Amino acid sequence: MKKICRHGIAIAFGLLGLMGSPAWAQTPVNFWYHFDNPESTKLMDDLVSAFESKNPGIKVKAENVPWNNYYDKLFTSIVGGKAPDVAMVKLAQQPQLLEMGALEPIDKMVASWPGKDDLGNNLLEINKGPDGKQYYLPLQYVVVYLYYRADLFAKAGLEPPATCEAFLDAAKKLTLPASANNGVEQFGFGMRGGKGGYDNWGPFVLSQSDFTPGGMTSAKAISANTWYVDLFRKHKVSPPSAPNDGFNEIISTFKSGRTAMIFHHIGSSKTMVAAFGDKVSAVPAPSCNGGRWTSFGDESTALFKSSKNKEAAWKWMAFLSEGENNVKFNQATGQMTVTRSGAEKAAFEPRFIKATVDSLPFAKTLPAVPQSADFVNTVWPVNMQRALTGEITPEQMMTAFDKHYSTK
Amino acid sequence: MSHRSSLRRMPYWLLSPAVLATLIVVFYPMLQAGITSLYYNVLWKPKAVRFIGFDNYLSIAQDPVFWASLGRTALWIGITVPLQLLLGFVTALLLNQQFRWRTLARSLILIPWALPSVVIGLMWSWIYHPQVGLLNDLLLRVGLLNTAIPWLASPDTALYSIIAALVWQGFPFFAIMILAGLQTIPANLYEAAEIDGATTWQQFVEITLPGLKSVLVTAVMLRIIWVANSMDVIYVMTGGGPGYATHTLPLYAFKRTYSSMDFGYGSALAVTFSALLLGFIVLYLRRVGKGME
Repeated sequence: MKKICRHGIAIAFGLLGLMGSPAWAQTPVNFWYHFDNPESTKLMDDLVSAFESKNPGIKVKAENVPWNNYYDKLFTSIVGGKAPDVAMVKLAQQPQLLEMGALEPIDKMVASWPGKDDLGNNLLEINKGPDGKQYYLPLQYVVVYLYYRADLFAKAGLEPPATCEAFLDAAKKLTLPASANNGVEQFGFGMRGGKGGYDNWGPFVLSQSDFTPGGMTSAKAISANTWYVDLFRKHKVSPPSAPNDGFNEIISTFKSGRTAMIFHHIGSSKTMVAAFGDKVSAVPAPSCNGGRWTSFGDESTALFKSSKNKEAAWKWMAFLSEGENNVKFNQATGQMTVTRSGAEKAAFEPRFIKATVDSLPFAKTLPAVPQSADFVNTVWPVNMQRALTGEITPEQMMTAFDKHYSTK
Repeated sequence: MSHRSSLRRMPYWLLSPAVLATLIVVFYPMLQAGITSLYYNVLWKPKAVRFIGFDNYLSIAQDPVFWASLGRTALWIGITVPLQLLLGFVTALLLNQQFRWRTLARSLILIPWALPSVVIGLMWSWIYHPQVGLLNDLLLRVGLLNTAIPWLASPDTALYSIIAALVWQGFPFFAIMILAGLQTIPANLYEAAEIDGATTWQQFVEITLPGLKSVLVTAVMLRIIWVANSMDVIYVMTGGGPGYATHTLPLYAFKRTYSSMDFGYGSALAVTFSALLLGFIVLYLRRVGKGME
């Protein structure tokens, strides 16, 4: 019995040695990303094999981690000392990752990287860490703008709104009871009151407030928020389901012709065109009392401090943000490439690219502080929904935000 | 002698893999959750993790969202389980009759129970949708409503709308359990009762109900535990909203832990809820399960 055991162990070790030897010669890079569409992982496989044939010494292990628990998995792996070498990350999480001491600065690597001149529109600047160092290498971006039904606007003799006032006016005129609209109730604005909806609210309220202590509770900020809540409660220009509506709901009601305006980004433009053709168009978010704000959405790659193969990991990061490769990556996510050379090849209709580019000058992210992630996930939706359903006043909602951002 | 003692130890050896697995898979995480609940532990602040004793529990006692969620959890269990029981009972009595296609009906009834919760959540949230949903459309057509009701977006109706979906999901469990129970009641009891002149109602109260007692007590207990802990349907349908309107305690604990990454407070909520549920079940078994094996 013992003999058999010993033999078994010897054989096992032998096998391990045989299998392991080629892998030891190669430098492994563990990469985490998330694609909503599992079909798209094929594109990632193509990218990996293209990279590996260019860099034969490096073996990339790309893992598609489900989005729903992407960050708790990532954070747990960092705490447990098992972080990947490189991961796809959003700006909103940068402060938390820095607080954890998980990120490696990449300034030096970026400086000597030829691809940096091909990056568009200040993207490196926007992605800088709060301490001025570079941790994130941009992969893709989107800017939230206003989709509107060009045919309905033309029929009502309206121009796409450039200001808050024009927005409200258009929303009112395009809200029609079923009796006046061939039996289908129509609403002017498909408000997103559920998760992710802060980018609907931001253009109207964050354009007139800020995140400094008291910036949310100024008279101007509170009246802006009251104005926004009134869209739903007083003017009723949004569907009654608005407090719970998320991405799927606002897109499907818009596509079924029941709303005339919604906020979203270029990522949904293809399905919009498939549904409406030329009858759908887009403009940048309106300006409100002279202020203007829209949400900048992003994904970057970041290098982790715990990585043992930083050089190889950097090569992979850089590869993903270069010309053709980045275009391919964005085919999978349906968003905008970060390179100038790739932007010309992006397969979007020009009017949506124009709305995106025209929005960039006032596109912002939430403050680079740890509170922002929780703000997006829980604090904003809960308080917005309570205000929309009348449980709290718009003023109490803003006070809650002020409190959230001023407590450490 | 040695042979006999090894025989005596045999059962323990045979049981040990199961016991070991339970210890590792169930008790260790429970212990870990208990320990975590005594710490200030926000996942992205690893440097600030520290032992704070029962502070998390003290904060829970003063947390209005906790108390409101506790109340909703009581409603959630208190409405869902009895309705499922009632509906399941009626279904079982019907399915126990002789009729054509009975076998088919028995298998069809299992569909809601067999569907994944996520599918049920998505399906019902579209049924309830004010613009494109089936329910509003039907009610508008028959004239019961003048305008569509945002069932899930209004804090007054959201919880009850989800309860209705959950009742639909869970009643087949009772139906099948009770049906199985019905078939164990000897037919000669009913014959004897008939000869003695008992009415159908008397037969039901004096024979059927007592005969089903053990099945009912067990099924209700299992359902209370499952319904109390189930949050997947709520999560899919409203995510706990609007506001806190559909937060039950397990969902609140989940959101505190995974959305806010506050593992200490989330664990304390989970431990508190487990203790409350355990207390309730013990009480239930003492009162209802009296005289049972």
